[in-house]
Amino acid sequence: MIDTIIIDGLTFALPMFIMAVGGIFSEKSGITNLAVEGLQGFGAFTGALVMVIMMNSMGNGTQVPYYMSFVAAALGGMLYALVHVILCVKFNGNQVISGVVVNILAMSLTSFLTRRINADFFGQTSNKFILETSIRFDVPVLSGIPVLGAAFTSVYPFEILIIVVAIIAWYVMYRTPYGMHLRACGDNPHAADAAGIDVKKVRTVAVVLSGGLSAIGGMSYAYSISANFSPDIYLGFGYLAIAALIFGNWSILPTLGACLLFGFARSSGQAIIQKLGMPSTFNDLVRTLPYVVTLLLLVFFSKNNRSPRALGEIYDKGKR
Amino acid sequence: MEGSEYIVEMKHITKRFPRIVANNDVSLSIKKGEIYALLGENGAGKSTIMSVLFGMYEPDEGEIYIRGEKVNITSPRQATKLGIGMVHQHFKLVSNYTVAENIILGSEPQNKLCGIIPHVDIKKANADIAALSEQYGLKVDPTSVISEVNVSTQQRVEILKMLYRDAEILIFDEPTAVLTPQEIEYLLEIIRGLRANGKTVIIITHKLEEIKAIADRCAILNHGRLIDVKDVKETSTSEMARLMVGREVSFTVDKTEAQPGGTVLKVENLTVCNELGLEAVKDVSFEIRSGEIFALAGVSGNGQNELADAIAGIKPVKKGRVLLNSRDITGMTIRERIEDGMAYIPEDRQKVGLVMGYSLKDNLAIKNYYNARFSNHKIIKEEAFEEHGDRLINAYDIRSSEGNKTIVRAMSGGNQQKAMIAREIDMNGKLIIFMQPTRGLDVGAISNVHKSIIAERDRGAAVLLISLELDEVMNCADTIGVIFDGRINKIAKASELSVNEVGEYMMGVSATGVSAKGGDAE
Repeated sequence: MIDTIIIDGLTFALPMFIMAVGGIFSEKSGITNLAVEGLQGFGAFTGALVMVIMMNSMGNGTQVPYYMSFVAAALGGMLYALVHVILCVKFNGNQVISGVVVNILAMSLTSFLTRRINADFFGQTSNKFILETSIRFDVPVLSGIPVLGAAFTSVYPFEILIIVVAIIAWYVMYRTPYGMHLRACGDNPHAADAAGIDVKKVRTVAVVLSGGLSAIGGMSYAYSISANFSPDIYLGFGYLAIAALIFGNWSILPTLGACLLFGFARSSGQAIIQKLGMPSTFNDLVRTLPYVVTLLLLVFFSKNNRSPRALGEIYDKGKR
Repeated sequence: MEGSEYIVEMKHITKRFPRIVANNDVSLSIKKGEIYALLGENGAGKSTIMSVLFGMYEPDEGEIYIRGEKVNITSPRQATKLGIGMVHQHFKLVSNYTVAENIILGSEPQNKLCGIIPHVDIKKANADIAALSEQYGLKVDPTSVISEVNVSTQQRVEILKMLYRDAEILIFDEPTAVLTPQEIEYLLEIIRGLRANGKTVIIITHKLEEIKAIADRCAILNHGRLIDVKDVKETSTSEMARLMVGREVSFTVDKTEAQPGGTVLKVENLTVCNELGLEAVKDVSFEIRSGEIFALAGVSGNGQNELADAIAGIKPVKKGRVLLNSRDITGMTIRERIEDGMAYIPEDRQKVGLVMGYSLKDNLAIKNYYNARFSNHKIIKEEAFEEHGDRLINAYDIRSSEGNKTIVRAMSGGNQQKAMIAREIDMNGKLIIFMQPTRGLDVGAISNVHKSIIAERDRGAAVLLISLELDEVMNCADTIGVIFDGRINKIAKASELSVNEVGEYMMGVSATGVSAKGGDAE
């Protein structure tokens, strides 16, 4: 049972983690990003679309479409993030409203497009893109370790991808000049500006990266949860990722901790239900576990949180 | 223009804002290696002309030459490339970055991890900054975090930021406004050191003593126009003050002997805690009579804020009592205190004193808007607000671009202060608390505030004047109290204390002859 909890927990936690890292990029640069939900959905849509097209043209038996779907998802997420950029960075719109709009738009746009594309190109009436089931593998040697070996058992390839991308993201954020500029823009854009940094450019790149990272998370969920893309992708995991990054105090490592907590809360809940032989209707109740944990954490940890100082503030150069 | 002796030449600069001409045909020529001061009242256009030089504003007319070459400066970034640096009045620092990270921001030294992956070389940055700080005598620890160092250190970081970028022309916008006297001394020393290193320094200020102490030449601005450029050595401070204000200014305050009446404010064994829950005011007792100015002297942060806030009802009292006209007001609300005749001019006019987004007329009526005079059955009488506003604007010479409808945020600091003082004095209070009333004001405005304080006393009000400026205390007070570490360690008639004695009490030295050396400048 412990094995299942660990395996399922990681499968759920890691995609959320990479979405949260995306959120951190945007918010550390000073742009509130409630759009994670919409960005991951839109990314999953473009990724799934590319996957379906490639499967049709290349046939089965190759892993290329699988990896290409992640590239496509990331690009789609980045492209869609430009909506948030245009509203918030270019026109100084309210970032909360923009985020919500981006989410709602993603939901309706992707379900509309999925139906149209299915009808017009594949001659089907469906609101889904059916994906190939992802392969899973055991890491040699490591998977043999008692108990903890489960973390290396029936691993999705995207889990490795997420870890690698997250390490790169951490390096960019804390070791490169760009990362330094990004964090400065989130604390005091006036200081960044005075140091000759183009605040709008830095924020544009940050939000675009945020879109790409969120999209990788969305694509992963499309493979792991349902092996298809449908409007069911909008289950609110994007919002949960935002909660995770807040508990993680806008830092990448603690955010991983928060995501793992959510993941294990969910998977152990499910395991308990199965163990007790409760009817599957209780599954819905268990799905709320991460949210209940969120609420409890909110009560206890909110006061220790320090958000980026300029988060959500509209940056107007002329204002002194 | 090759070999011009001037490093900066600004010719016929005019900068207009909606409704105001901030600079009107101003021409400045600054020599390499000199300390050049820009003197003027609040709103004279000093900061604007320097913002033009630093590329923050583009002038509507005029030309700029740097090292003899005509330039068009459109951004701070470009100004930096031309070797111009500026320390703004409000520092531009990233609060959660270290000193070194702030200094290198935007021009980070880089290295390659394993020869390929680029990263910021923070070790090199720390070493470079330590060396730079050594060279110019600017003490900083490169690894400490900005939010944990004091204002004076933050200012040194700003200076190092300019030096790190090899700036040759250094602009300081009112650099001493936020510093203690010891820190000012240190800063002036640093500025002299910069000149010795061949830098050109431009300093914006309205403090005449500082100009006298360090500047070589001084340009005087008034209402956006250049009045004169003077050689500092050959010009007296009173001459500079006259040019700056446009009229004679007296540095001493004329006042008659106090005619104190009955006790108005009585503070008994008052103990008040600060935000951290520590006792900031400890067992303080004193009283003020009507027609008396009680000045509380002390170094910043010795409990003055907490004491004033507790008397005004903003902070809760831990122990002790406050009596106004023999009535215990310790537990009363702020409104009850106001109705009982207490007026308060807080130190932080932007946060506590005024609502920055409100119009001037609304701010002037904010303490009594609910009276029948201003509202009728809970409906506000707009005309009464306007009439009241206009009356105070005329009586106290509050200048603004749109009269009583001006949004307070858009007014200059000096006029905001005037507005607040006008509102409080107009209430005809029995007790008026002035907390740092002349902070950030120019000499002309200061002398007006002092006149109002004395006029209030002569009207019969009890005045509590809390000031960090020793001159102000000595000039205005009838009675002086000195606060140190939350306790009042001396109360005496103003005539019985010398400046030096008050200074010693301020450093916590009782009059046993032990002299305070150095002190805790932190």
